[in-house]
Amino acid sequence: MDEVMRRRLTLLAVAVAVLALPPVLGRMGLLSSEQGFVLGRGACFAAAALALNMVMGYAGQISLGHFSLLGVGAFTTGIITGADHLALPYVIAIPVSAMAGAAVAFLVGLPALRLRGLYLAIVTIGFAYAMQASVFRARAITGGSGGVEVPRPLINTFQFLRNGDYLAIVLFVLLVVWLVDVNVTRTRLGRAFQAVKASEPVAASFGVDVARHKLLAFVLSGAFAGIAGAMYAPLVGTISASSFTYNLSLVLVIVVVIGGLGSRAGVVAAAFIFAELPELLELFGEGFRGTDQVVGALGLMLAVRNHPGGFAQAMRERREKKAAPVEGSGAGIPQLSALPRPTAASVVPVHGDVLEVSNVTVRFGGITAVDGASLSVPHNTIMGLIGPNGAGKTTLFNVVSGFVTPQDGSVKLLGRDVTTLAPHARAAAGMGRTFQGIGLAKDLTVTENLLLAQHRLAEYSAGEALVGIGRTWAVERTLRERAREAVAALGFERFEETPVRLLSHGQQRIVEIGCVLVTSPELVMLDEPSAGMAPGAAEDLALRLRDIRDELGRTVLLIEHNLPLVLDVCDQLTVLATGRVIASGTVDEVARQADVVDAYLGEAVPA
Amino acid sequence: MVQNLVLGLVYGGIYGLLAVGIVLVYRGSRVLNFAQGEMGTFGLYAAWWLSTEQGLPWIVGAAGAVATATIIGLAFERFIVRPMGDQSRLAVAVATVGLLLFLLALGFRAFGESPRSVAGPIRGSIEVAGVFVSGTQILSLVITAAIGVALAVLLRRTDFGLAVLAAADDPTAVRLVGVPLRRVSAFTWGTGAAISALAVLLIEPTVGVFAPGFASELFVKGLAAALVGGLTSLPGAFVGGLVVGLLEVFVTDATLTSSLPGIPTLSVFALILVVLLARPQGLFGATQTREAA
Repeated sequence: MDEVMRRRLTLLAVAVAVLALPPVLGRMGLLSSEQGFVLGRGACFAAAALALNMVMGYAGQISLGHFSLLGVGAFTTGIITGADHLALPYVIAIPVSAMAGAAVAFLVGLPALRLRGLYLAIVTIGFAYAMQASVFRARAITGGSGGVEVPRPLINTFQFLRNGDYLAIVLFVLLVVWLVDVNVTRTRLGRAFQAVKASEPVAASFGVDVARHKLLAFVLSGAFAGIAGAMYAPLVGTISASSFTYNLSLVLVIVVVIGGLGSRAGVVAAAFIFAELPELLELFGEGFRGTDQVVGALGLMLAVRNHPGGFAQAMRERREKKAAPVEGSGAGIPQLSALPRPTAASVVPVHGDVLEVSNVTVRFGGITAVDGASLSVPHNTIMGLIGPNGAGKTTLFNVVSGFVTPQDGSVKLLGRDVTTLAPHARAAAGMGRTFQGIGLAKDLTVTENLLLAQHRLAEYSAGEALVGIGRTWAVERTLRERAREAVAALGFERFEETPVRLLSHGQQRIVEIGCVLVTSPELVMLDEPSAGMAPGAAEDLALRLRDIRDELGRTVLLIEHNLPLVLDVCDQLTVLATGRVIASGTVDEVARQADVVDAYLGEAVPA
Repeated sequence: MVQNLVLGLVYGGIYGLLAVGIVLVYRGSRVLNFAQGEMGTFGLYAAWWLSTEQGLPWIVGAAGAVATATIIGLAFERFIVRPMGDQSRLAVAVATVGLLLFLLALGFRAFGESPRSVAGPIRGSIEVAGVFVSGTQILSLVITAAIGVALAVLLRRTDFGLAVLAAADDPTAVRLVGVPLRRVSAFTWGTGAAISALAVLLIEPTVGVFAPGFASELFVKGLAAALVGGLTSLPGAFVGGLVVGLLEVFVTDATLTSSLPGIPTLSVFALILVVLLARPQGLFGATQTREAA
């Protein structure tokens, strides 16, 4: 019996158990009505926790109004199934509530998630108060009374009035939500979310559209919250504005942080525990009365202080420390002995220059960092970009890759003007870059980073990924195969499943270069690749840089302070000083210019 | 009309004060302090105990309120924020959510839900050309303006103030001026809390009574005000406060007969959305430049 078959059978068994056990146990008297209710509430909180975990645990954005999204789903269900309203079947209510939650999340998230920072937190607080004080009290929704009555689902003449019977439905819906969540984490969606959380520029450099994915995470989260509301409303029977307050949203934050940001099982377990304990439950009531809450909140603060990534990460770190293959001594550090091969035959005929930078000027406040700089990199060459510290080399790199918008000038890639393109679009157009501070998602493993790097090759739609159909798994297998080849080429088999942050700086650099090359971009931009590498590694690096040019047929733009390396491998040099290009040409031509020797070469090689 | 204008200014000044506290902490630590409002509520309980229960003069209660909130702010900075160092801002923000819940829970535990009140410092009100203004409201305007001026002088005319202003942009510059970064951090958290206490104390007589959670909704308006001002600008925070205060008062007046409740709250939410869509850098904030990691 193969792996897939076994997984399907397990899933079937769980689904049957979830559907059959509660009603049977309830009728055997082994599950009291009270217990059925509490478990049902736990399942609703679990779905809500999965919702918040999507946006906060995976994508790293704070939402402080998730119970209001839950409320949107609950009131939608009330309007659809309520006797005074549309009186339609519950089966319709679930998808419609999911869509309502998603739509509201889209509207609330759109203005905030285009921006970097804590703006989603601000918007969602405003949203929570607006819903609590106004919309959830509107006559059109409540029908004039204090609350909305939501009936239990009805099939023909059978109504799920027993809590045990309704629990089966609630648990089944939770299972579906769980499975969608699994699909998110096993596809490019989850990797992109986690990359955004780790570092937005790094995510963009791998071709991830950052704003789009933050919004996508929040919209998915809204759909989950809407479903949680659809589960919750018939369970409690009557809902009103006070069922979905700002304080409850804050408690949900506690549940997710204590359960472990990003840990599916952790947040679900924490949600059930919160719903079980009557003392903790008062948190969900009108007030915060007990001493337990005081201690609990104090515990949360200390927990966050000591384990900012949540308990799940703390436990993972402990496991990693035990099983760490970590070096430290430097023994067995791969020396960049080979490069990952491009498996995709993406050799486009290139005419003329791969990169053309014209008259670029960048000012930060009153400081001119780049001053009318131009350079062109011919196809299949290695161009060195050198100059003293603060000359504007990295700023120029950022202009080329789209992270800094120049006040003046243009950037052309493969003859196409990319000046107005966002960083992720430039990555897709065929450039890959490294960062001085290592452009990797450091909490992800080496393999996961190599998968993330192939984001733009994961050609299946978000919808296909969520349901887990179509091209999804075939494409994922291809990506995984290529990642495995890259790991082997780099000689990193031992570190395959090691989180990148546990590797040495030099090792991280090698993985980073591997990630850039795994999609074989036309233009490879390396920002000080030799920094942090082992002393002997520079020679290997020189060989590999030539491989990129000669064997892979690519073009390299290189910032490097190791001058012997630069003089050794570069075909052409451009020298920057105080933001201006002071010399450019072949290595020999540049070396002959006296002012260059003064500005840079002189101080670096006092000969 | 004029009556509303005056009320809008009074509320606006209060929201401006809350926003200044938010901006100070944001500049110092690049984090939003979601417990900012409730720190002020705790100060209010100190004022209630001192002046309502013990019968001491208002000013003693006010001093107690400011001291209580300042201690909470300093303690949180010392025991939670500082040990977290360079941890992700997400984690620090979550820690302030923890503080908010802690203060709410402690408030309910210690004082219960029953409403209390603190009398204003000045009784009675005056009438000028048909416009009624209470003594406390006048005092509130005066104190708001005084704090604004005092902060401006402190921050722009002293080395320490310049260090506070520079902290967020350039930590190295702060060290060059010779001010330890942790003192800047302690100052922003302590002052933010103290200003919140004053704001909450000044608005309480106009609202009437308070209970735990009193400042939570005020905080939302302070947050909106800070956002309008650009999150990093202190003058912007005051202007933002006036925008939110006037908006709230006039919307309330215009929708008194509406069947939909809570339209003023809805309008604050709408304001937040509009600012983010149309002018995310706020009225006074610096334009964001995209930078690499």
